[in-house]
Amino acid sequence: MILNTRNRLYITLFLIPACVLVGLFVYVFLSWSIKVSLTDWSTIGRMGVFTGLANYRELFQNDPVFIRAVKQTLILAVLFICLTIPLGVITAILLDLGVKGQRVFRTIYLIPLSFSFVASAIMWSWMFMPNQGVINTVLRSIGMGFLAQPWLTSTTQALPSIVLVYVWQFSGFATLVYYSGIASVPETLLDAAEVDGVTLTQKYTLIILPLQRPATLTVLLLLLMYSLRVFDFVWLLTGGGPAYSSEVLANYMYRVTFNYNRFGIGAAISTFMFVLSVVIIVLPVLISSIRKGKEKTA
Amino acid sequence: MSSIKRRFRWIYIPLFILVLIYLFPIYALVNTSFKPTEEIKYGPVRLPLSPTIESYEEAYERLKPSLRNSIVMTVLATLISSFVGSITGYIFSKFHFKGSNILFLVLIIGFYIAPQSILIPLVLFMGRTGLYNTIFSLVLTHVAYGVPITTMLFRNYYDNIPDELIDSAVVDGCDVPKIYTNIFLPLSLPGFAVVMIFQFTNIWNEFLYGLTLSQGVNSQPVTVAVSNLKGTTVAAWNQICAGAVISTLPVVIIYMLLMNLIIKGLLMGSVKG
Repeated sequence: MILNTRNRLYITLFLIPACVLVGLFVYVFLSWSIKVSLTDWSTIGRMGVFTGLANYRELFQNDPVFIRAVKQTLILAVLFICLTIPLGVITAILLDLGVKGQRVFRTIYLIPLSFSFVASAIMWSWMFMPNQGVINTVLRSIGMGFLAQPWLTSTTQALPSIVLVYVWQFSGFATLVYYSGIASVPETLLDAAEVDGVTLTQKYTLIILPLQRPATLTVLLLLLMYSLRVFDFVWLLTGGGPAYSSEVLANYMYRVTFNYNRFGIGAAISTFMFVLSVVIIVLPVLISSIRKGKEKTA
Repeated sequence: MSSIKRRFRWIYIPLFILVLIYLFPIYALVNTSFKPTEEIKYGPVRLPLSPTIESYEEAYERLKPSLRNSIVMTVLATLISSFVGSITGYIFSKFHFKGSNILFLVLIIGFYIAPQSILIPLVLFMGRTGLYNTIFSLVLTHVAYGVPITTMLFRNYYDNIPDELIDSAVVDGCDVPKIYTNIFLPLSLPGFAVVMIFQFTNIWNEFLYGLTLSQGVNSQPVTVAVSNLKGTTVAAWNQICAGAVISTLPVVIIYMLLMNLIIKGLLMGSVKG
């Protein structure tokens, strides 16, 4: 369609709000954050002095808590993904096997997703409390008190406990995506396979699951995104403790910046998180959308 | 098929175990919220002997100002971010110009970037413009970081509306805004429903921006107020639980009533991303 000048002007007008908002809040702020990260700014009211990459050197060479936070963020991501995706796949297959009330199950499984992280955190700190908490109380009352755990108060269990809360919150979403992915496998394909006499196991492993790659990408992307920015649960459940055992990047960044007022260092952690999200999320998104675009034009 | 169904009756067992796992924490939360203080020590599993809504009254009294803040913030931010997403998605879906695909990607990348990456400048900006600790700062923030996803959702939605509609409208002498108001806006209502619910639930539940940009009752959203409940009142678990229920109930109700639209939003927001 050929557009006259007036319509081109209108198009520009329609795009201005989004471009101004995203331009300022994403791109200007990102560069501003990088600028702050190159200074030693650490008290309110005084602007920092340019110190080059000193903050980054400090983080990577002299800050064991930061290194721990990086490692633990990655551990959290891996655990979270490795638990959520199989759970989602298996539940979706179970639902697909033809139970009655699939929709009711699916609805119930999505309820945790509707809870705010704050409400979940309150609920789960109540679940995890060593003495009065729900899990240990239940274990004791069914005579399995020996299984009672210190949960969030233990240096080895704090991080896995937070992962459990995450899995609780998001596995219903994974189930939903796989469930609709399985439902969208063409009926004719399955009929043809049935004529060929495939067993039920083969139907899932050879036909349905290989077609779930888009669903897996979808879930993976979202889970990665959330594991990188995990803040609410850590902040509210453990504060990163005990003894930094559940410290993650987002929480550490917040503490360094707003509790210790070390803005330069905080901004350096922000920038590192930005680079991390570009590498593991933005680049894959860009590559897949460019590929899609090529397929369309080809 | 019915023979398969009979063979797989056992699968109800794991499915019900999952129901139990998903709902049990919620049961413990709601159960505790109805207990008088002296019954808390009996543990969270036993039903209250003399159920009371006292904790709800007290929690509500404390959360009232922040609930009002959350309502104003969420409604405004949802309406504005959905509208901006709609006009932007409309352009990207129907009017291709040189570099439009790249501009689109540049815009939607905002959705994938961790909020911590821009947090310090965000606070500095709000401080310098005098917006810090106002509801408006939160509305603005939620609109700005909502626009990438609403734009993406609306573009995907408008991609399903045939281009021919535009061509014939142009022949009839309609310009870009007229095509939007006469054709796309009326056809957008289902899209708006999905996007607005998606935005409403996310913004209502958001915590980090609320924590960083607000102080005290002026602008604090309910998520932050509830988390403070936990910090200030020592071991008044029934009140904390009641507060958590109050704060999260609006979104849970929306989920239950509008499950189909929720599912559409979740799948649209992710599958095509």
